Amino acid sequence: MKRIAVLIVLFLSLVAVMPLFADDVTKQSIESFDGKPIGVQTAVLYEELIADRVPNTTFQYYTMPNDMILALQSKKISAYLIEQVGFGVQKANHPELETLDELPGYIDATMIVGNNSKQDTLLAQLNEFIALCRADGTADEMYDYWINNFDPETSTCDTTGFSGENGILSVAVEGGYEPFSFVSNGSLSGYDIDFICRFSRAYGYTPVFYEVPFESIAPGVETGKYDIGMNIVVSEERNETGTLTDVYYSCPVVLVVLGEQKSELSFFQQISNSFYKTFIRENRWKLFLQGAGVTVLITLVSILAGTGIGFAVFMFIRRGGKIPNGITDFFLWLIHGMPTVLLLMILYYIVFGSSRLGGMWVSAVGFSLMFACSMIDMLRVGYNAIDKGQFEASTALGYSDTLRFFKIILPQAARHFLPIYRNEVVTLIKETSVVGYIAVLDLTKISDLVRSRTYEAFFPLILTAIMYFVIETIMTYIVKRIDISIDPRRRSQTDILKGIKEWE
Amino acid sequence: MIEIKHLRKEFDDNTVPLNDVNLVINRGDVIAVIGPSGTGKSTLLRCINMLTEPTSGNIIVDGEDITERGCNLNEVRKKMGMVFQSFNLFGHLTVIENIMNPQITLLGKSRQEAYDRAMELLSSVGLSSKVFNYPDELSGGQQQRIAIARTLAMDPEIILFDEPTSALDPSMIGEVQSVIKLLAKSGRTMMIVTHEMDFARKVANRVLFMDEGGIYEEGTPKEIFEHPKREKTRRFIQRLSSLSYRIQGIDFDIEAMNEELQGYGEKLLIESERLSKLSLAIEEICINTIADYSENPDIIVKVEYSEKKDILSLIITYKGPYFDVRDTDSELFKELLSEPTTSYSEKTVDDPDGFVNRIDMSFKWVEE
Repeated sequence: MKRIAVLIVLFLSLVAVMPLFADDVTKQSIESFDGKPIGVQTAVLYEELIADRVPNTTFQYYTMPNDMILALQSKKISAYLIEQVGFGVQKANHPELETLDELPGYIDATMIVGNNSKQDTLLAQLNEFIALCRADGTADEMYDYWINNFDPETSTCDTTGFSGENGILSVAVEGGYEPFSFVSNGSLSGYDIDFICRFSRAYGYTPVFYEVPFESIAPGVETGKYDIGMNIVVSEERNETGTLTDVYYSCPVVLVVLGEQKSELSFFQQISNSFYKTFIRENRWKLFLQGAGVTVLITLVSILAGTGIGFAVFMFIRRGGKIPNGITDFFLWLIHGMPTVLLLMILYYIVFGSSRLGGMWVSAVGFSLMFACSMIDMLRVGYNAIDKGQFEASTALGYSDTLRFFKIILPQAARHFLPIYRNEVVTLIKETSVVGYIAVLDLTKISDLVRSRTYEAFFPLILTAIMYFVIETIMTYIVKRIDISIDPRRRSQTDILKGIKEWE
Repeated sequence: MIEIKHLRKEFDDNTVPLNDVNLVINRGDVIAVIGPSGTGKSTLLRCINMLTEPTSGNIIVDGEDITERGCNLNEVRKKMGMVFQSFNLFGHLTVIENIMNPQITLLGKSRQEAYDRAMELLSSVGLSSKVFNYPDELSGGQQQRIAIARTLAMDPEIILFDEPTSALDPSMIGEVQSVIKLLAKSGRTMMIVTHEMDFARKVANRVLFMDEGGIYEEGTPKEIFEHPKREKTRRFIQRLSSLSYRIQGIDFDIEAMNEELQGYGEKLLIESERLSKLSLAIEEICINTIADYSENPDIIVKVEYSEKKDILSLIITYKGPYFDVRDTDSELFKELLSEPTTSYSEKTVDDPDGFVNRIDMSFKWVEE
């Protein structure tokens, strides 16, 4: 008893002392983080500001700023770098976050101009517009509105009034990056959006925005897929590869650490709060529904087209010609061997780079190809599993090659590959979650965008996972039904002898 | 009806099971094809319906050369039924569909017609109760009878049987054979590759013995089974297995020969006691007598075993002067000669190579 009492006292005193430690966190120097993991958003290059002060630190890269909060809370990193404006929004939702008093530095953001025929004109116009905004105070006005006085609930921008007389501008923005570009009430908003809209009105363009992860913006612009890529942090290397405009805003970067944990809400209050923020506020459930629809659409199109293509190719190669089989093997090797994201990005930026085919259809093409490859493999497995005697018996009876395939071989091969087919469908649905890389707003991407607004980590992730499970369950159920309906052994005797008179 | 001219089949591994086969199959023939393994019996059968493509030669069916490129093989095959060793019923179809579907798909019959014909055939093979079973629910014998019914449903002009009972349990061979015998009696043209000699003899009106890359000997069942003219046929019919050695000079490796005889005996299930009698006889006659007394011994030793008659025989022929091998010091050999299960005879024969002295011995076995 005594020992336990001592332990309890020890524990309580520890708890009492902890806030004292927390108070000290903001006084730490940047150098004291040397050797500890620090988070930074991929492709923003803030790490260059402090890299020489923390030489032994390994930087951890995160695609979304809010993932860094999660990483910090779960102690995966000791601190992370973010622009002061971004931190302002995070702090509103996560009061436990603190910044070091010492500032790592400032960042200058520019735009990158697409490698296409409009490049020179656009560059000149953008630089002219940046200069103009600086001169007439618009830049300061926007900075005050979006950065100093930003309110995620009310800040909006005018996205109308485009004459479009000089054509369309395709603009790549992050989309989950408050206050620069984010989804509010189902449409894009933010500093970057506001800036481009003002520019477009002034120069007679109509802007079309694409939500692309930061690391995909530069490659997309360099291939000419997008005319303008927003929010590029200036660095030497970047300057070589593309054409950058003048700086259109600067802002301080802060180092964020974990302060005191404060949570007065009960577990259920937290859940209902999360639910409200994730689904109800701004009618975000509509976004989720739309994302789920896109995921289902891509999956369905890919399954149907992939099955069709795979089957057609197999019909062509099944007789074992060396050349068609060789070519098919090469493509199977090529497509199967490539990470899905890379295949999609190659299709989107290179193969269909100059076409205006939307990301969703490019994804459908990519996944159809991948599914077709799986289909060919499955058919081969099924076909090879059929006993040679079945071929010989049907040939000896006088079945032609085609009749033999459809009447004798395929129905038996199907029994072998349909279980694999079911698994492939599930795999496909899961794989589609990477289409966000090519500006498709699927379920995963929507969940990312919403998370970037709500600053909620666990709740949307788990709910998105559940939605995937639901889609998978429905899809596999359908395949299973087909499986059962074509199973010859499940037919009734009446079915077998349909149209025959007088059998018992 | 079917004429086969200079048929040759060479496989990719350069084996030539069929070298030059010529054969005429007439309407109503029931031909049994027999012969040792690997002599191209099945290959010949499979060439007739082009399941195996011959390397050269012609196969003329009803005046049409089916080895020619333009020939519609699917039409030709509808006229030829084939029954396989491994039945090859379609696994995804019920018994009734196995028999109905080819009629509907290939002969354009109505479902009702196909059904009626299928039921008629099912009852003729005694399996009317298996209509809705799947092949893997049936015994091998039942499957093979269904396969025969499926073939018959196509009303073929000839049926090719490729070892129809080889994959069956001994207890099921009879049921399949009796179905085939019934077909033979009804005057169908058939060609049957088989290892069952008694069955071949009873069912066929022509027997082909295949060896040496072609038809080695042909005749009626009586001719082939009772009076085979050629050596290999005779040996095959009597199920003879033989070994032979030539002993020249005095440094013959008798140990190696004994070892080989041991293996031979084990393979053919010859009693070891009987085999040691044989060894003793060879050693006594060849080594201790002939080789010992002649200046340039040259002896041919032949050991034969007939499974059918269960007789182990020893034939020794040698050059040079005659020796009476019974005149020996060996008590053991004398005792062996006196046993009632041992027979001994010797004679002088004409031989162009000079092996004029011949000794025949045989060893029977009586269970004590």
